[in-house]
Amino acid sequence: MRLLKILERLLAALPVALGVAVLAFLFLRFLPGDPVEIMLGDTQVSQQQITALRHELNLDQPLGSQLVHFFGQLLHGQLGTSIVKNQSVSALIGGALPATIELTLATVFIALLIALPVGILSALFQGSWLDRVVLSGALLGVSMPSFWFGLLLILLFAVEAHLLPTSGRISSTLLVERHTGFMLIDTLLAGDLRAFLDALKHLVLPALTLGVVFAAVLARVVRSSMIEALHRQYVTTARAKGVKERSVIIKHALRNALIPAVTVAGLQVGELLGGNMIVETIFAWPGVGRLVVNSIFARDYVVVQAAVMLYAITYVGVNLLVDVLYTVLNPRIVL
Amino acid sequence: MRRWKWLFILVLVLLVGVASAKKLSFVLDTTDNRADEAQAIAAQLQQIGVDVQVRVWKSGVLLDAIKAGSRQAYTTDWGSAYFDPFDLGIPKLTTGGRGNYSFYSNAQVDQDFKVASTTTSDGPRDAAYKDAQQQVFQDAPWVFGYVLKNIEAASNAVQGWGPAADNSESLAGASVQGGNSLVIGMRTDQIITFDPAMYRDRDTEAVLRNMFDSLVTHTLSGEVVPQLASSWTKVDDKTYDFTLHSGVTFQNGDPLTADDVVFTFDRILTPGAVNGETSPRAGLLGPIDHVEAVDATHVRFVYKDPFPESLLLQALVHFQIVPKAYMEKVGVEGFKKAPIGSGPFQYERGSLDSQIVLKRYDGYWGDKAKLSQVVFRMMPEPSTRVAALLSGEVQIIQAVPPDLVSRLESAPNISVKTAEGTRAYQIELNNKTAPFNDVRVRQALNYAVDWSSILDNIYHGYGQRLSTAFLPSGFGYDASLQPYPYDPAKAKELLQQAGYDVN
Repeated sequence: MRLLKILERLLAALPVALGVAVLAFLFLRFLPGDPVEIMLGDTQVSQQQITALRHELNLDQPLGSQLVHFFGQLLHGQLGTSIVKNQSVSALIGGALPATIELTLATVFIALLIALPVGILSALFQGSWLDRVVLSGALLGVSMPSFWFGLLLILLFAVEAHLLPTSGRISSTLLVERHTGFMLIDTLLAGDLRAFLDALKHLVLPALTLGVVFAAVLARVVRSSMIEALHRQYVTTARAKGVKERSVIIKHALRNALIPAVTVAGLQVGELLGGNMIVETIFAWPGVGRLVVNSIFARDYVVVQAAVMLYAITYVGVNLLVDVLYTVLNPRIVL
Repeated sequence: MRRWKWLFILVLVLLVGVASAKKLSFVLDTTDNRADEAQAIAAQLQQIGVDVQVRVWKSGVLLDAIKAGSRQAYTTDWGSAYFDPFDLGIPKLTTGGRGNYSFYSNAQVDQDFKVASTTTSDGPRDAAYKDAQQQVFQDAPWVFGYVLKNIEAASNAVQGWGPAADNSESLAGASVQGGNSLVIGMRTDQIITFDPAMYRDRDTEAVLRNMFDSLVTHTLSGEVVPQLASSWTKVDDKTYDFTLHSGVTFQNGDPLTADDVVFTFDRILTPGAVNGETSPRAGLLGPIDHVEAVDATHVRFVYKDPFPESLLLQALVHFQIVPKAYMEKVGVEGFKKAPIGSGPFQYERGSLDSQIVLKRYDGYWGDKAKLSQVVFRMMPEPSTRVAALLSGEVQIIQAVPPDLVSRLESAPNISVKTAEGTRAYQIELNNKTAPFNDVRVRQALNYAVDWSSILDNIYHGYGQRLSTAFLPSGFGYDASLQPYPYDPAKAKELLQQAGYDVN
């Protein structure tokens, strides 16, 4: 029954994605800036060649027939070819997506590792010095610009301490064959522990840069919903029944307090899966964010359209996952 | 009736008053990378009574507005790959030229440019370019700007390497003390392709030129020297013959012959020849008709119209020769996955958007590479490149921002090196509409900008002032032509002559 509901929700995501794709298609074309001119830059070309290129890229067609062409391709399961990079869009996005997903998962891991204990503790000791430190720390975390924090981490851990690499996903001396695109998995598949550790080291700084901001947001939510839960009657009841304090906190209070936290985390994960252009640029991380933002600047319509559709599907997917998690956390909630 | 008459006179007096004491005011459009510079210029112009409002745009959007002719003054830049005004002054200043965003038009300059691009001997070309510079200087269609140096940096352990004016990174002669491999931090976030027919950016070329040879190549300063071609002769104004070195092999062992050269150019010149797509590189060769093999070691370039030898040579630097038999066997997609050239390094592994590993080609026909492995790492963020060089992860970095140079120079084992740049930066003016359809106003602005303070303060002294739209590294440059000096008094005088209030 639940599986059917999930399937139904997934199918409902398709029209959303298509609608978003049409909007993206139209908005992009209303933006000033000509992809061919931007791409040619200041190379020496004749007007004839510009016209030919525009024709080859289908850009000389009226908007309507471009749209029809786009959907025609979609029906055939093709996302098209990048105007600028001359590669298929599915290959471009498929190549960049694993890097972004890997970074997102690591970020979530770090964020949970920080936010859960910190949020719970500061709720338990509400008003104490610990609580105040956590609150101001969270404020700092939320307000820190990621490009500044990322560079600071690079300076500290890579340039000064020589503990971690500055950027990239793996050292150039190590050979890793690409199977899944996930560096951690590919190195393990190759059975190369040294490469695995190397990839892990490369992951730390970018994940920390993103994770600290994420943790700051999450810790505040966990704290406030924990405080609320701890004042609920079921907690008093549990304590009155003589349930162990640890069990009261984790089973009774935390489980209920997690619902708002899961909501916020879901939104953040949706955003992270879109890739973070700034962090990906600083850490030379070949992810989706960089690809999409550069494609927008280059007016590489085809790539942006596909990416926007992907974003829509991702958001729907993440929201669905959040809803499923609700039912796990609180069985009274049904999908 | 009488009352109306007085009112009419009053309005007239007011209008005349406003018109005669009008201040020059205009909008200066710029992009984020030059916003500081534009603000500084606005402040300088304020001092001679000119009101400038700076607006910051995204470059693609601004370009649309400029081309529509709706802007007045705008920061622009244009790069040259030829070391010749052929792809700088000519597209920028010919009437109706592709890059002529100032709508400048001077029949004599047009004539000079025609001579320079269709005459095959150097003397008349040189004279034509010099005459054009004089004309352009007087007409002052732009506020002439500057050229920035290419700033790169390397560990002191690296020898036999230097930054090049054309941004190529030739690593064949490079060596590293106490090592046999090297990592270079590239300024781009990804190169476009391994297919030498399907790119047009310098970053892709920087990698490809280590894997592929061309008929001729550049020295670091842009001088053309032989590579695969040992010599060449001009048959007539439209025909050039090149003699190939013998004994050159591709990295799969196949010999390199005239057929490979012809194949390379055919797939670039024939529309749709690359899997139905057209190479974006054909324009670099000018009005070429075709390329043919004379025999196994001689190739002939045949033009439709007379074309200068020096321009053909400058263009040929940028065309990497591919193996015909191999390309036909594996197809374009196969080639992109396992590229084969005849250069000093061959592809080992990597991906376009993160890092590319090349190994030495031991069968190289010329001086073999000293290093056994070189790695090109994409590092789009300048601060990260600097950090990676400081931490020893990479040995060479491209494009050091001028404000980070001092950080690198204070490190004990790192040297900052520069090469002449090939990109002109300026403020272009819309010559078609007021106020810049008046040459006095355009000249006034050229006197009114204190470029030396801008180049010192914003670009830390890594810029060189240009007298016109011609680069010192280019053919036909007139070194005797001095840039407009900073002379606010002269600027005020010119503005007053043009009827503006300068107080």
